[in-house]
Amino acid sequence: MYKYDEYDHEIVGARVAEFRDQVNRRLKGELTEEEFRPLRLMNGLYLQLHAYMLRVAIPYGTLSSDQLRRLARIARVYDKGYGHFTTRQNIQYNWPKLVETPDILQELADVEMHAIQTSGNCIRNVTTDQFAGATAEEIDDPRIYGEIIRQWSSLHPEFSFLPRKFKIAITGAEKDRAAVKWHDIGLVMKRGPEGEPGFEVLVGGGMGRTPVIAKTIRDFLPEPYLLSYLEAILRVYNEQGNRDNKYKARIKILVDAIGADEFARQTEAEWEKMKDQPIDVPAEEIARIRSYFAPPALPVLDAQDDAVDALAAKNVMFKAWLKNNTHPHKVPGHVAVTISLKPAGGIPGDASDSQMELIADLADQYSQGDVRVSHEQNLILPHVAWRDLADLWTALDGAGLGFANAGLVSDIIACPGLDYCSLANARSIPLAQELSNRFADLTRLEDVGPLKIKISGCINSCGHHHAGHIGILGVDRRGVENYQILLGGSGEEDATKAELLGPGFGADEIADKIEQVIAVYLDIREEDEHFLAAYRRVGPAPFKEALYAAA
Amino acid sequence: MPLLSLSGIHPTDWVEFADDQPVDEGAYAAVSAARLAEDGDTLFAAAGQVAAIIDGDADGDVLAPYIDRLAAIWINFKAFNDGRGFSLALRFKRDMGFKGEVRAIGKVIPDQAQFLARSGFDSVEVAEERVAAFETALSRYTSFYQCTINGDMSVAHRRHMRADKGAA
Ligand code: SF4
Repeated sequence: MYKYDEYDHEIVGARVAEFRDQVNRRLKGELTEEEFRPLRLMNGLYLQLHAYMLRVAIPYGTLSSDQLRRLARIARVYDKGYGHFTTRQNIQYNWPKLVETPDILQELADVEMHAIQTSGNCIRNVTTDQFAGATAEEIDDPRIYGEIIRQWSSLHPEFSFLPRKFKIAITGAEKDRAAVKWHDIGLVMKRGPEGEPGFEVLVGGGMGRTPVIAKTIRDFLPEPYLLSYLEAILRVYNEQGNRDNKYKARIKILVDAIGADEFARQTEAEWEKMKDQPIDVPAEEIARIRSYFAPPALPVLDAQDDAVDALAAKNVMFKAWLKNNTHPHKVPGHVAVTISLKPAGGIPGDASDSQMELIADLADQYSQGDVRVSHEQNLILPHVAWRDLADLWTALDGAGLGFANAGLVSDIIACPGLDYCSLANARSIPLAQELSNRFADLTRLEDVGPLKIKISGCINSCGHHHAGHIGILGVDRRGVENYQILLGGSGEEDATKAELLGPGFGADEIADKIEQVIAVYLDIREEDEHFLAAYRRVGPAPFKEALYAAA
Repeated sequence: MPLLSLSGIHPTDWVEFADDQPVDEGAYAAVSAARLAEDGDTLFAAAGQVAAIIDGDADGDVLAPYIDRLAAIWINFKAFNDGRGFSLALRFKRDMGFKGEVRAIGKVIPDQAQFLARSGFDSVEVAEERVAAFETALSRYTSFYQCTINGDMSVAHRRHMRADKGAA
C-alpha cells in the first residue's frame, strides 16, 4: 500500500499544527463558532446530538495492520472502546473531546493517516472496491488512482469551499462494488482502443431527498488527463452549483437542471483550456504510486485443504462462511475474506478495540498485513490462502467475528440515526439490531439468500436506502418515528432507485412488515431467484397487497 | 484596514468611489464593476488608474472589455465559505490573462490565506486584529499537492525533478 514520503508527512503534519491552532483560537474566542464550523468539518469534526464526532479518513478503504492497531488504540484511549466503520469506508468515533482532537490527529499522522476533508463542502475521501488488488474481475487496481485523487484533492485552493460536499468513487472492475453511479463523480476504469488505460466518467449521482443515478459524460478519458478533467468538472460545479438552498446544492441538481449534455459540453470547454496546464501528475508519478500497489507475491496454491474440509463437515457456520464470506482471488488457492461486523443484535459497522487488534494480528498472519473496509461496513482480509481458512475462522469466531452473513439479509447497512445524529428523524440502529435478531438463524438466512437491507434515519440517506433491495427510511410523522419501505434499489452496475411502497409504519410494526415483505418474496420466487430479480419480475403489487390490503 | 501582500507585490493604495460619486481627476480610483460596465470609457479617461470591485459570485466576463486597461480587480467575498471567488480570480489571471493586482476583500478568514495566494490573489484586506493570524496562516504549508498559478509546484512534480537531478 501507499507509503508517505517526506512531503506527505510534512503536509499532514502541518495540518495537525493548523488544527491545533484553530482549536486554540476557538477556545480563546478568536474564531466564532460560525467560522470554526467549516474548519473543524474539514478535519472531520462534527457536533452531534450528545458530543463531538470525529470521522477519520481511510483512503479508498485500505488499511495496514499497524494503522488498524492505531485506530484501536484511539478507540480505547479517546473514546469508549469502539469505532464505527461507515458506508464511505471511513471510521467514526462518537465520543472524542474537542481539546483532545488535535492529539488524535497527531496519533493518526504518526501512522500516515488523517481526517482531512472527511466532511465539509469539499472533495471527500475517494471510495472504491473493497476487493481492489485482489479480485480477478478488475482490469487494474483502482487504488492507484484513488491515491492520485487523494493527493490532488487535499487542500485544493479552488475547491475547498464548494456549494456542497463532493464524493468520488472509482471501480477497476465492471462488477461495481463501489456504487459509482450513486456518486457526484463515478469513474469506471476501461481500456482504450490501443489497450491504453482510461476511465468512463459519470457525473451527478447522489442520494438524499432527490435520488439520481449518475450519467456518463465521457465514454473514455485517457489516464494522463484524469486530474485536469476532474478539475474542469469541479470548476463548472463550483461556479454554477446552487448555494442558496442546501437541498439543491449537489452537482446532481445542476446536471439535471442544465442537462447532462450541456454539462458535458461545458466541462469539455473548460478542460480544453486547462488540459495542458500542469494539473495532471507526470507519468513517473503514476508509476511511483503504482509501485506501492504492486500485487503481493502470492504462491499458486491448492484450492482444497483437508483441515478446511474437515471443519466444514462438522460446523455449519464455517461451511456457510466459506460460501458467503469469501470472494475469489486473482491468485489460485487464495480468497478475499469478509469479516462480518453484523452479528445478530449488533450495531452495523461497530468494532471494539480488541476486535480491531485481533483483526490486525490476523491480517499480519494471514493477509499480508492488509485490511480493507467495505462500504457495506464490514472489514476485509484481501489475500488469504484457502488452507488458512479454518484457523482464521476459528480465531475470528472466538471474538464474535465469525458470522457467515456477508451479502445476506442481516448484513444490513444502517446510518447512526437518532441515537447519535442531530439530523435524524428516527432510530436506525435498534431496527437493524431487531432485524438481525429475527434473521439470526443460519438456515433461514441462507434460505432467503442475497438481500441488501439499507436503513437511513432521515432523507439525507447516509444509510443508502435508495440503493437497498429493501430500503427503510425513517421519517417524522407528527413527532413520532415512522418508517417507509422502499423496494428494488441497487447500488451496483445495474443501479436502480428503490421505489416507495406506500405509507410508513410505526416503530413497533416495521420489523414485522419487513418479515412480511420477505415472506412474499419466498412465496413468489422462482427456483433460486434472488430478491432483487424477483422484485424486478413482479413489481410492487404483491408486496403492496400483503402489507396494506389486510389493514 | 491593513493590506497584506500575498504574492510579494506591494499593494497599491486606492481611493474607493461610490457609484454616485464623481471620480477625481487622475485618481487611483476603485469603482464597482457595474459602474464600469455602464460608463467605462469616461472612467478610464478621468482616473489615473482604475480598479474594479466585483462580487465573488459575479460573472467575470463583465470585465473582459477592460481587462487590459484595469490596474487592479478587487473580489468581494460576501461569505467566506462561498468558494466562487477563488474560481473568479483564476478566470481573470489564467483564462483572461489579467496581469494587474487581484485583491480579496470582504469576509475572508485567516485560514484561507494560502488558498487565496494559490488561486492568484496578490493581496488581501484584513481586519487589524487578524493580521497576525493571517501572517501565520500564510506560511503554514510549504509543500502542496497542486501546481498553482502563484508558482507553487506540486509535490508530484517536485518528486521527479529531484529524481532527474539524482540521475544526471
Ligand atoms: S441519514 Fe440522516 S439520520 Fe442517518 S446519519 Fe445521515 S443525516 Fe443522520
